[in-house]
Amino acid sequence: MSDAVIEIQDVSTTLGGKAIHRGVSLNVQRGEVVALIGGSGTGKSVLLREIIGLSPPDSGSIKVLGEAVWQIKPDRLGNLRTRFGVLFQDGALFSSMSVEHNIATPLREHTRLPLSECVRLARLKLALVGLPPDVATQRPSELSGGMRKRVALARALALDPELLFLDEPTSGLDPISARAFDRLIRLLSDSLGLTVFLVTHDLDTLFSIIDRVIVLSDGRVLGEGSIEQLRGIDDPWLTEYFSTRTHAGAGGGWNGS
Amino acid sequence: MNRAGLALDAAQTTVQASGDWVVHNPDMVTPPTRPAGNFTALDGGGLTALDTAGAWKLLEALSLSGDMPQLEFRNFKPQHLSILRLVAQHFAVTQADATRHPASIRAALGHGALTFWQHVLGLLNFVGQLTFELAILARHPGRYRWRELGAQVQAIFINAIPISIALIFLLGVVFAYLMGVQAQKYGANIFVVDGVAMAICRELSPVILAILVAGRTGAAITAQLGTMKVTEEIDAITTLGLSPYAVLVVPRLIALLIALPLLVFLGDIAGVLGGMMVAEQQLDISPAMFIDRLDNILDMKTVLVGLGKAPVFALFIGLIACRMGFAVKRDAQSVGVNTTSTVVQSIVAVIILNAIFAVIFVRLGI
Repeated sequence: MSDAVIEIQDVSTTLGGKAIHRGVSLNVQRGEVVALIGGSGTGKSVLLREIIGLSPPDSGSIKVLGEAVWQIKPDRLGNLRTRFGVLFQDGALFSSMSVEHNIATPLREHTRLPLSECVRLARLKLALVGLPPDVATQRPSELSGGMRKRVALARALALDPELLFLDEPTSGLDPISARAFDRLIRLLSDSLGLTVFLVTHDLDTLFSIIDRVIVLSDGRVLGEGSIEQLRGIDDPWLTEYFSTRTHAGAGGGWNGS
Repeated sequence: MNRAGLALDAAQTTVQASGDWVVHNPDMVTPPTRPAGNFTALDGGGLTALDTAGAWKLLEALSLSGDMPQLEFRNFKPQHLSILRLVAQHFAVTQADATRHPASIRAALGHGALTFWQHVLGLLNFVGQLTFELAILARHPGRYRWRELGAQVQAIFINAIPISIALIFLLGVVFAYLMGVQAQKYGANIFVVDGVAMAICRELSPVILAILVAGRTGAAITAQLGTMKVTEEIDAITTLGLSPYAVLVVPRLIALLIALPLLVFLGDIAGVLGGMMVAEQQLDISPAMFIDRLDNILDMKTVLVGLGKAPVFALFIGLIACRMGFAVKRDAQSVGVNTTSTVVQSIVAVIILNAIFAVIFVRLGI
């Protein structure tokens, strides 16, 4: 499989007079689980927002599933958005709806399925992300942080997207929930054939489920490849980043953010 | 999009699925139904696409009584098979009844009564807590936050001056004009002064400005406190060893108690000025005559009655707004509901209080 799902060419961004990206180029192939890492303020989340069409880059081209996100007409962008799912950092669940209606919302908007079927499909998704059925009728505010993330993942998966974007999926979770969430993402990406693009700080995520890591530094892509390949790069931030793992020990689940 | 299909093969033992079984396929609304016959296997060789929604629809079409069909899966692409197995594993949860049963009238009535009762209890609890905090504050006045009070007076009083003056000035203009039209018929021009001064100072300025403040400040207070509740800022204040009542409620209440009487006073002046302007233009009453008449008929009592009502209105608006702000649940909709409720409750409270005042003043002969 070698068709690129995300193609980014020479993206530059300036925010508040500060150059965030100075020619970022990267590709993500179908079926890959790719992580974007980098220090605070290197524009990881900004790049993610540019890919999903929320804030525009100053120059460069961004193609998702073969469509140039910032050139196509709004209705085609809307269409494109039904083909990928996004998991926001804090879940961004609709607080006034029950869990099942949160997940059913994209189904109701973008398919002609009747409401009762949307709700039953929502319960299927809820089961897929490993939540018990009695969660379905609860409000997001009644759930724990880990459960909210799972519900948000279920909503991102509602329309069976080909591509999944995750913004710091394990931040704010305890190490046990975080590892379980990692395994869930890998299981779903393997069995549903999903391409996953995630922004993370979590070293354990990188070591456990990631096919390829892309490092963003100083407005450019510093390097990409497996963790072993990245260890060979001589960069102070990268060296220190990987050394936190050695200090914490193999079992340490360290969630820096 | 290829049409989704489901058909028995020649041997009558295998069902062949074909086409795109995906969520965006319009066929999924009314998918192909179960072919008649006793088949034991499902052949997925003809499937061009399959996702979880499609797999679920496929299994639903094949199941008879909502049970997971016991079928042998044949010729599936590995990708499709893993999706089908994953969905089959969780098929049972989707068979529960998903339709919502509307609550009966009795249940709705009971629920409504309970909500109302809890609302009354909540308000009592709020007033009790506040009294307690005020007592503590009275013993330790040093803990009071004067800076916050200043900011609130700025927001509630200073920023509301232009709109208040404009509102009551125009009210005075309209009132004097309409009264003038009638008074002219009887040659009773000068009595317009009486009418305008009494109406503005005693009723219009306090009531209209209280309603303005209820909409402007009451809504702002509830929305602000409610959002602070949602973002756990109120919890943070508590854990820092501070009292949310002392930090948030007391400054707002005191600022309201200061602001509304002052606004009413400014409104009195603006309304009378508006009347004076119309009197000169329409009724040939010079400002000097107007003021002379005003001096004769507008006694201190009338003005004080109007000004005296203002703090009571302010107290109720402040209590309702802060209480509804604290009662916000942790979701966005609740902020909207409680803000609306604050405005409605405050306006109703102002109207009712004003009626009570009217009765009391008449009985006391004021």
